[in-house]
Amino acid sequence: MTSAPVAGAFAATVARDRRRAKRKAAWRRRGLVLGLLSPWIVGFSVFFVYPLVTSAYLSLTHYDLLSTPRWVGLANYRFMFEDDQLVWPAIKNTLWLMVFYVPAQVLFAFGVALMLTRARRGVGVFRTIFYLPALVPTVAGTLGFVYLLNPATGPVNIALSHLGINGPLWFHSPQWSKPSLTLLGLWGIGNMMIIFLAALVDVSRQLYESAELDGAGPLQRMRWVTLPSISPVILFTLVIGVIDSLQYFTQAYVAASIAVGQSASQSAENLGYPENSTLFYPVLLYQQGFRYFNMGYASAMAMVLLAVALGVTLVILRSSRLWVFYQGARR
Amino acid sequence: MSTAVVEARRVAQRKPPASARRRRFLLVVADHSLLIAAAIMFLAPFIFIALTAVMTNEQALSPKLWPEPFRWSNFVDVFRTAPVWRYALNTMLYAGLATIGVLVSSIPAAYAFSRLRWRGRDVAFVATLLVLMLPVQVTIVPVYVLFAKLHLVGSLWPLILPNFLGDAFSIFLLRQFFMTIPEEYADAARVDGCGELRVLVSVFLRLAKPAIAAVALFEFLYCFNDFFGPLLYTSENSSHWTLSLGLAQFRTVYQVQWNLTMAATLLFMAPVIIVFFLAQRAFVEGVTLTGVKG
Amino acid sequence: MRRMTLAFASTIALVLVVFGASAQGAPRSAATAGSHTPVTISFWNGFTARELGLINKAVAGFHKQYPWITVKTTGALTADKLTAAIRGGNAPDAASLFETDTLGAFCSSGAFQDLTPYIKRDHLNMNLFPKTIRDYTAYQNKRCAMPLLADTYGLYYNKALFAKAGLKSPPRTVDQLAAYAKKLTQRNKDGSLKVVGFNPLDGWYENAPAHTGPMWGGQWMKGNTSNIAGDPGWAAWLRWQKKLIDWYGYNNLVKWQAGTGDEFSASNAFEVGKVAMNLDGEYRVAFVDAEHPDLKYGTAPLPTSRPSLYGSGFVIGTIMAIPKGSHHPNEAWLLEKYLATNTKALTGLSLGLKNVPSTLPSLKVPAVRKDPHFRVFLDIFANPKSSTQPVLKIGSQNQTLFATFVGKWQAGHVKPQDLHAGLANVDKQINDALKQSGQVP
Repeated sequence: MTSAPVAGAFAATVARDRRRAKRKAAWRRRGLVLGLLSPWIVGFSVFFVYPLVTSAYLSLTHYDLLSTPRWVGLANYRFMFEDDQLVWPAIKNTLWLMVFYVPAQVLFAFGVALMLTRARRGVGVFRTIFYLPALVPTVAGTLGFVYLLNPATGPVNIALSHLGINGPLWFHSPQWSKPSLTLLGLWGIGNMMIIFLAALVDVSRQLYESAELDGAGPLQRMRWVTLPSISPVILFTLVIGVIDSLQYFTQAYVAASIAVGQSASQSAENLGYPENSTLFYPVLLYQQGFRYFNMGYASAMAMVLLAVALGVTLVILRSSRLWVFYQGARR
Repeated sequence: MSTAVVEARRVAQRKPPASARRRRFLLVVADHSLLIAAAIMFLAPFIFIALTAVMTNEQALSPKLWPEPFRWSNFVDVFRTAPVWRYALNTMLYAGLATIGVLVSSIPAAYAFSRLRWRGRDVAFVATLLVLMLPVQVTIVPVYVLFAKLHLVGSLWPLILPNFLGDAFSIFLLRQFFMTIPEEYADAARVDGCGELRVLVSVFLRLAKPAIAAVALFEFLYCFNDFFGPLLYTSENSSHWTLSLGLAQFRTVYQVQWNLTMAATLLFMAPVIIVFFLAQRAFVEGVTLTGVKG
Repeated sequence: MRRMTLAFASTIALVLVVFGASAQGAPRSAATAGSHTPVTISFWNGFTARELGLINKAVAGFHKQYPWITVKTTGALTADKLTAAIRGGNAPDAASLFETDTLGAFCSSGAFQDLTPYIKRDHLNMNLFPKTIRDYTAYQNKRCAMPLLADTYGLYYNKALFAKAGLKSPPRTVDQLAAYAKKLTQRNKDGSLKVVGFNPLDGWYENAPAHTGPMWGGQWMKGNTSNIAGDPGWAAWLRWQKKLIDWYGYNNLVKWQAGTGDEFSASNAFEVGKVAMNLDGEYRVAFVDAEHPDLKYGTAPLPTSRPSLYGSGFVIGTIMAIPKGSHHPNEAWLLEKYLATNTKALTGLSLGLKNVPSTLPSLKVPAVRKDPHFRVFLDIFANPKSSTQPVLKIGSQNQTLFATFVGKWQAGHVKPQDLHAGLANVDKQINDALKQSGQVP
């Protein structure tokens, strides 16, 4: 039995040791985090911060890639918002992708993955078939589709004509060119499908069983078990889908060049064919920066694109607090 | 045996009513028929590519859909026209090293973002997402100049090295997956006396196998299909070309030889399909359906 | 946070260092002419496969004349690659590009070196080349490029189809062109087009404002300002075009056009008889000879809106230049001068590549003149009224902006009464771009 002052001193020692231990633990944790993150910190600085800062600087200059940049202040931004007549159509086209193309892809990928989980026979074969298109190099795939959907000689319109339907002009029609690109995007859904598959397979069977025992039908099980369980993955595919739509380039570039009848190597004369319907924001950016030697202006466009991407992602992430359910994270 | 037990057993053995059985059968057929229809639509462009691969070049450009004659020699021509094995080796080198790099650098980062709590974590994560939003064209010129000054242009290193410094997409994906793993697993391991690193290695890597396999697959395929990167950094040095660059070689001055291009496309996809088959088994079997989960 | 600030600061420093260092060092002065130390120079060009082989042959001839200079050629060059190389500090000694689109930017920024001192030093008579070449190898009178062969555009017509329609000779005026086109057109039973007399749609094969404009004498610029609205030729072309498109039916044309084969394949619409008359370059002669030797066709200058213009056409070509950072500019100059002016080399290249040789004297070489189909293009090339496109700092952006408008016009999305306003708007866009680029203060 110790006396009160000794007890008090002992308590103080214990408290101090505990604090020291806590601080040491905190330092060790900080060190651990730093250690785990160190490669990424370097990569982030060199391949993101540095080009970003360079771009921000260039957006305030006129830079033709060959001579030293010439300072012009906010002239590029002023041009973009006041004088450039192609920027607004480009923005509208990219918005179209965000509103139609991405949800179509997410829904379709989810649907296909769901079908696969319910299939009993030949799952492996089906899975491979659905994934194969994602393995096709983008250029080859786009070309294949432009040929497939050729309004005069392509098999799709020929088949439609046998059914008595006068097929649309697909890649040659301003109204149908973006839907045609969407069809191409749905064909290449493989990656998203795999992600949904992995997530769906992960959903605990016990949750399903207990829901069934509670009398939940298939639709209710979907609404209350499946969707919430995979909601982090839905969020992921939505964010990635939107970000990809903001960078959509290769397919639009190749499709426009081929549909117009030129070989894919020729200059960017007809980007956006037909009638600027496939002129997406990144395509315009590329045209300005690498064809017209307007790298300063392209950098300004890139800054605006970054701001928009940031804004949209933040909105999606903020909204996710309402509908995304994390089972295991430490919040 | 009590009558209750007998009754229970009979209840258990009673077949579900006919209407329920029929509904279930219809559902199965419906599911599969949708699958079959979807599969046909997915395969159609492929069949088209495959048919083009065995046409003559003239036929490939004409509206004819059925090749006559079947030029199986196109596949041989592919090997004769280009040093395919060297391109394949370069591609494997690039894709393999890049995949390893991504895994080694991104898994720890994703772990730090999802399972550890530290000041500024969420800000840092949003910063990581920002990387994905930066248009690729913006980074090209400054980064190229950087590598030029390091005298690495003309090889595949400018494409491989950045992957050892993390990849935002993989970090994002892994972080989301890590967040679906309940904390109970980690707690159980910690209770057993494991330090954080051991927790990561022994518990998480095993549980997140599907996600890791997915990330590895994506990275591998991205590198495999990457055309612009090798074009930018290795086009002057044909001994370092990858398959994607080589694929673009099936052209004369003015036109692409579609038949050979499609034949080459099919050939180059063959190993990838095998990889996919194997990987697919890995992440399906890697999921723990029993045990602590749930 | 502190970590981030440190990373941030270090990258700013890196940016400054890279930029400071990358402002190219002092230009290498030309080595004294006359030093014959053996040297190897690099020559990047756009050719590949067989055509690269022809370049190598010409280069071998150069090596015979200048035995101390060895030339290492690399093909498949594009403007992007060249820009990256110049920027990255590993530019080739000599470079050749298929297009002149980038000449304005390269020349004004110094990426292509000024060749005037070399021309003066060697007393090269630039009148060896017609005015069109002198126009498209210089930017605002600063000569930064030498020509390497040229292309001209004319009318190809299918003699068999002409005979069937009862036509004897090719059209000389644009009105005749429209009339003949209607006579030569054949339709399928369901009303779709089977054979088109002449495709008026812009953007297909070689139908481009730059190629069609000279038929109406259309000029792009007035000094340093875009003047499409002010030149009546362009509006005349567009109205002519709309009338013909309406006769065919726009959707019918688009559908027919989509079914035509690749321009540079053996299924080329003209070569397989899907179109009776076509605007195309002199290189088509070689393709037809190789792929469809039985085709009965003729070549002629393009029909024009005024008789005085007839016989002229659009001229453009491949160019060669000495990039900034070239280690051996003097030797590069010797190579380019040889390839541009040596008649024997030009003859070999012309016959092999089937392009027009770039000097006026080489046009007289009998071997070059032998083919009657080809001769027509040589004459167009030599015609003093022939024209080329302006060399601008904005490259071909003016053409693209105009072509976009033409696309809307031909689809019927611009009302006829709004034509002038539309063209004025195109001018405004072009002039805005010129101002932004700094070509116009």
